Amino acid sequence: MPPKFTRQLKADESILCGWHIVCQREQPVIIKSSTLRLLGHASASRLAEVFRLLGMILKRCLGSLPLLFFLSLVSFCIIKVLPGDPVEIMLGSAEKDVPPEQVAIMRRELGLDQPPARQYVAWATGVLTRAEFGRSYRDGRPAISVIKERLPATLVLVGTALTISFTIGIVWGLFMAWLRLTSAARLDSVLIGLALMFYSAPSFWVGFLAIALVASYEPLSGIPVLGLHNPGEPGSLLALFQHAFLPALVLASRRTAKVALFVRASTIEEMGKGYVITARGKGLSNASVIIRHVMKNSFLPVASLIGLSLPALLGGSVLVESVFAWPGMGRLAVDATFGRNYPVLLALIMIYGTMVILSNLVADIVQLYLDPRARDFELNSQSRLSRGHA
Amino acid sequence: MPVMKEFEHKRILSATDKRSVAVYRIRFSKRVVFGSMVLALIAAIALLAPRLAPITYEYSPLSAHLNYINLPPGSPNHLLGTDYLGRDVFAEAIWGSRASLIVGLFAALIAVSFGSIWGSLSAFAGGFVDTLMMRIVDGLLSIPSIILLLALNSLLSAPGLVAGLPPILLSLLHITSYSYGNLPIVTVVTVISATTWLEAARISRAKITSVKSEEYIEAAQALGMGTSRMLFRHLLPNAASVLMVEATLLVSDAVLMESGLSFLGLGLGPSNPSWGSMLTSAQVSLSQGNWWAVFIPGFLITMTVGSVNLIGEGWLEMLGRRHPAA
Repeated sequence: MPPKFTRQLKADESILCGWHIVCQREQPVIIKSSTLRLLGHASASRLAEVFRLLGMILKRCLGSLPLLFFLSLVSFCIIKVLPGDPVEIMLGSAEKDVPPEQVAIMRRELGLDQPPARQYVAWATGVLTRAEFGRSYRDGRPAISVIKERLPATLVLVGTALTISFTIGIVWGLFMAWLRLTSAARLDSVLIGLALMFYSAPSFWVGFLAIALVASYEPLSGIPVLGLHNPGEPGSLLALFQHAFLPALVLASRRTAKVALFVRASTIEEMGKGYVITARGKGLSNASVIIRHVMKNSFLPVASLIGLSLPALLGGSVLVESVFAWPGMGRLAVDATFGRNYPVLLALIMIYGTMVILSNLVADIVQLYLDPRARDFELNSQSRLSRGHA
Repeated sequence: MPVMKEFEHKRILSATDKRSVAVYRIRFSKRVVFGSMVLALIAAIALLAPRLAPITYEYSPLSAHLNYINLPPGSPNHLLGTDYLGRDVFAEAIWGSRASLIVGLFAALIAVSFGSIWGSLSAFAGGFVDTLMMRIVDGLLSIPSIILLLALNSLLSAPGLVAGLPPILLSLLHITSYSYGNLPIVTVVTVISATTWLEAARISRAKITSVKSEEYIEAAQALGMGTSRMLFRHLLPNAASVLMVEATLLVSDAVLMESGLSFLGLGLGPSNPSWGSMLTSAQVSLSQGNWWAVFIPGFLITMTVGSVNLIGEGWLEMLGRRHPAA
């Protein structure tokens, strides 16, 4: 049977009656001819490629559903273990004046007389069918609508911080890599030290210093420090972003340093590869080698870093929002902790967790889309059924 | 020169021994050396606190002197100035290093021990138990750590907690009717380690899964070695280097988390001087134009965390791994 290949086989592939033994990694993998074509070793059609990618994406999406289930289970357990009887918390100091029959009725209304497993099922069905995460102990409003008010502020803050950290971080990292190449290694070391300082500094402390700087240095005094908009003025989009600038800069400080160090490391790693030597042999300058050849390859891991940065920024926003009186979800979480407002806390944990799971999923999909090696690896690990633990 | 030859031969042999290669590289990794020096300095400050800042009426890190509030650095008798209650910043910073370092070290130790046991048991059990145990870890990992810290903190800071403790524990922690004694430190360490063990569990599971497929494990199994012996004799020692790096990096996380918790008012509190609680109180003085009481503790935190990170990353580099993305 003539092989249906448009390009020549590599030396380390051998054909055996339609089966191919591909010795790319440490162990030879035996793959069926049709699979090999899908792997892109032959003239696989573009459509098949797209379908294969879609299949992988679907698999990832389905794979994160059980994670959501476990997230809800774990967080429900935490909340159930937390001390304090909900009715006691709701009544506060008024508890002594309320007759016990009334308390019993309240407990029944809240479903607290049921066993915990049934409470979980009731809560989960409420979340799934009505998108209701329980009611705030504080004012009896649905927890989800309390959070909805706070969500946009946090998203603006985190989104701005994400943009800032990746623009500054990438430029900084590339600059450091370029310095290393042009043998200005001392300046590179200084910049690394600076990045490490930023990475190690507590973000709220950086926030204090930023406020002190703005307060004491005259030219900066125009930068707004607290809240969403100036008191007495109606909030506008421009004012919102003006007010978000300093908090976002502070929130981004740790991430920026991390991104810079990461970009530097991955660029320098790429610089040691063969194609770079070729490109330099052609007489390209250091800068154009980095921009035209290295960047494309070194940015693959950076792309997945974007998705992984969201959890860190969301966590950091809790502290930064407290420094800058930013009325977001982070402040709500702190208030809910102090007020033992457990339904809101539970809803917050679920929403934070869902956002993190989603961003990890997106990072994974972006990685699959951008990096053909990741796709190949996935297929290969599927075909290695004999090695059970993949 | 046969003597020389033999000597060289020995050196090569010892250099191929894995452990001595690591020692050799540690000696020449500038990052690790520099980081260790800074960390040793800070540890020395913590150990020598009674010598460096002897507690007198005037210099106690806890007593307020309203005649001397907000003195700038370089004032007579107050090298680094005073804060908004007239407490000496120098004394506070030196005594505060103890609590911060203790919290960091103990939280990291507990987290890594618990995480590695969880991860190795999971890897060892395999199958359904493995899946279940790791799913729990994944579920907890998807909650941002500060939110988890908040939730767990309200578990431990419950009003009824002290009343429920046995009397032996009360005297052990110096809890009296007027003071919580060392209870906040125990609480903070518990909460931080309960949040940070997850990453250690994942790392140890990955490492042990890969070690498990080695041939010598199969040989040990064939010789009839028991599960626990296998775990402590072969699997965990092999994962030790990775786990120690993880422990190092966790120390820096724990120090940062302590300061964050203190800032939110959930940390060690004013009766235990720590860098985090210094920052909390310095927040007030910031509006009075006192930047040094804010700057000093934050700078010390940054130095500690930075040096620990340097050691950890340098170590990772020596093991030939890059630091994970997040």
